[in-house]
Amino acid sequence: MKSIYKYIFTVVALFAVTASFGQSVHDLRLNEMMIKNEDNYADEYGRHVPWVEIFNTAYNTVNITGCYLTDDTTGLARAGKKGGEIPARWYRIPTDQKMYMPQRSFLIFFLDNSPLYGPFHTNFTPEKSNTRYIALISSDGKELLDLVEYPVELRDTSRVFGYVADGVRDNKAFKKGIRASGELNFLSDFTPASSNETEVKISKQDKLKRDDPYGIGMAIISMAVVFTALIMIYVMLKIFNYASRRATMKSKAKEEAAKTPAMAAATGTKADDEAVNGETVAAIGTALHLHFGSMHDEESEVITINMPSKHYSPWAQKELTMKRNPRR
Amino acid sequence: MLEFFKEGLLQFLSYSGFGNCTWGHIIMICVGLVFIALGIIKEYEPLLLVPIGFGIIIGNIPFTDGLQVGVYENGAVLNYLYFGVVKGFYPPLIFLGIGAMTDFSALISNPKLILIGAAAQFGIFAAYITALLLGFTPMEAGAIGIIGGADGPTAIFISSKLAPSMMGAIAVSAYSYMALVPVIQPPIMRALTTPQERLIRMRPPRAVSHREKVLFPMMCILLTAFLVPTGLPLLGMLFFGNLLKESGVTKRLANTASGPLVDIVTILIGLTVGASTQATNFLRPASVLIFVLGAFSFVIATASGVLFVKFFNLFLKGDNKINPLIGNAGVSAVPDAARVSLIEGQKYDRTNFLLMHAMGPNVAGVIGSAVAAGILLSFLY
Repeated sequence: MKSIYKYIFTVVALFAVTASFGQSVHDLRLNEMMIKNEDNYADEYGRHVPWVEIFNTAYNTVNITGCYLTDDTTGLARAGKKGGEIPARWYRIPTDQKMYMPQRSFLIFFLDNSPLYGPFHTNFTPEKSNTRYIALISSDGKELLDLVEYPVELRDTSRVFGYVADGVRDNKAFKKGIRASGELNFLSDFTPASSNETEVKISKQDKLKRDDPYGIGMAIISMAVVFTALIMIYVMLKIFNYASRRATMKSKAKEEAAKTPAMAAATGTKADDEAVNGETVAAIGTALHLHFGSMHDEESEVITINMPSKHYSPWAQKELTMKRNPRR
Repeated sequence: MLEFFKEGLLQFLSYSGFGNCTWGHIIMICVGLVFIALGIIKEYEPLLLVPIGFGIIIGNIPFTDGLQVGVYENGAVLNYLYFGVVKGFYPPLIFLGIGAMTDFSALISNPKLILIGAAAQFGIFAAYITALLLGFTPMEAGAIGIIGGADGPTAIFISSKLAPSMMGAIAVSAYSYMALVPVIQPPIMRALTTPQERLIRMRPPRAVSHREKVLFPMMCILLTAFLVPTGLPLLGMLFFGNLLKESGVTKRLANTASGPLVDIVTILIGLTVGASTQATNFLRPASVLIFVLGAFSFVIATASGVLFVKFFNLFLKGDNKINPLIGNAGVSAVPDAARVSLIEGQKYDRTNFLLMHAMGPNVAGVIGSAVAAGILLSFLY
């Protein structure tokens, strides 16, 4: 019995691990931002307002509905508690089909203190804020998903600030509240809703050629994945086997129980010594067959009845008038 | 008047096959005839070799460009039929039929055999590494490597995505080696096994219940497609076809999928893949390399399966041991590879029937090659 639980646990754990890696808001980054927007990126109303770009670094879709954007994290501990109040300068990202971010995609939010303008317009603006950061908070209000502290010059100059390499963050350092040097910087190009890495990108194939010129790495990973997939099926089949064995044992036990005189009396079946089993029936059947077989004479010919082979075809059907002669 | 006749005749000749024939066309037509002969006389995979062989002949009838008759000419009938190959929708339909034909009982009753199907996929990646060393690009190498999966539809599916220009050569190579399974595999199996190992008798498989058969495709699609979603077109159709077969309530659909539908698609895929091997595209040094690499990957795949069984046996005791002669069946040439196991096994012990045991790794190979194809796509596409 223990082994069945072991297998079921393995399968469930595999799914749980996979699920925990899927659709995670922890993959979101505040990739690029602009505070003093004079004549750059305009919102859908043609206004030049501060904006921040969220980047989904994952290779799967992430739903960002319910997460918060803010420039004031002071209420973080309070908001996370049950019944805790959500601070005024926290913008809750509303439910919208567009909030499902496909893999490696970007979304722009306008920090314009105009939430009535649409789901991408926040209820705060960093222009007159006392703080110098933008933060992204999880939907339960407990966790800081990303926080980008920007230099003071960003308020006075029309420049963009963000991750030098798209969403690449030292997570250990971030958890300690520090940033790896060179991770964030002023960006040379202004790239809302697209990659910050404006240098010529090498193709997937060239990258593979460069990083794994002999294909050994890919071969090892691929074989590992093939084995993993088939081992998962193996575990599933083991569970099948176990269940099948148990079912067989149960039915055998039932049969055995039915054979005891007491049970036989209770169930109305014949006891073992009186029961006729399958082998006996087969032996009797064979004996009868041989007996009746030997009673026959040697026949020189065998008469059988064969159905005439006549294939159906609508062309031959008189009722369908396919072969009706033309009228004169 | 005479001048008119002369001119007309010359013009007609310039449009005819005789006027445009090259040595390349003649060689390819001969290749087509050999395929047909192998299919009809030797009965090597006739359902594949006859349509492909005839397709090669059709594709290599010389003609003047612009007549809208060639497989590569927009608007040509053959071009429309070829669309299913280019866009990769014939292979999943064939997988639907394979699923509806395949009985996974052997695998369900002896789950450890599935690991042989995984080991045999090493041929794909060995060929990938070798192709890279020979100067092919990673995408081309991936498309060539898949020949080692011994699965024609998968080879077409992958090459249509990764290396469309090589698809003809890859498909013909894959199908040729699949047809030659009874010729290629036995010497490798004999070379890698000892006489004692060939006599191993395996425990008869247990009876598999209807419930297990129904649950199998549903669980498998969940497990494999979550891991390799890129293999979804092939895996999804394979397990869907199997569910149609095993559910017991969709007999008509299963019969259509495993009968008329798969027959129609086999005709179309065979004919158009054959027709795509026009001499101008096909007769290149790269094609020769593809054939060599294809054979190499097939050999490695077979050897990997056999050697994996020998390794696995080190951990197994008594009647749990596996006869290494079923290791070759890890490639997904169903059921030819399993039949080879049976024939080879009976050469050493006429009462040892390995067919049902070999069907386990054989169908596992189908799943394994589809998973491997998905991985190749996720890395390279």
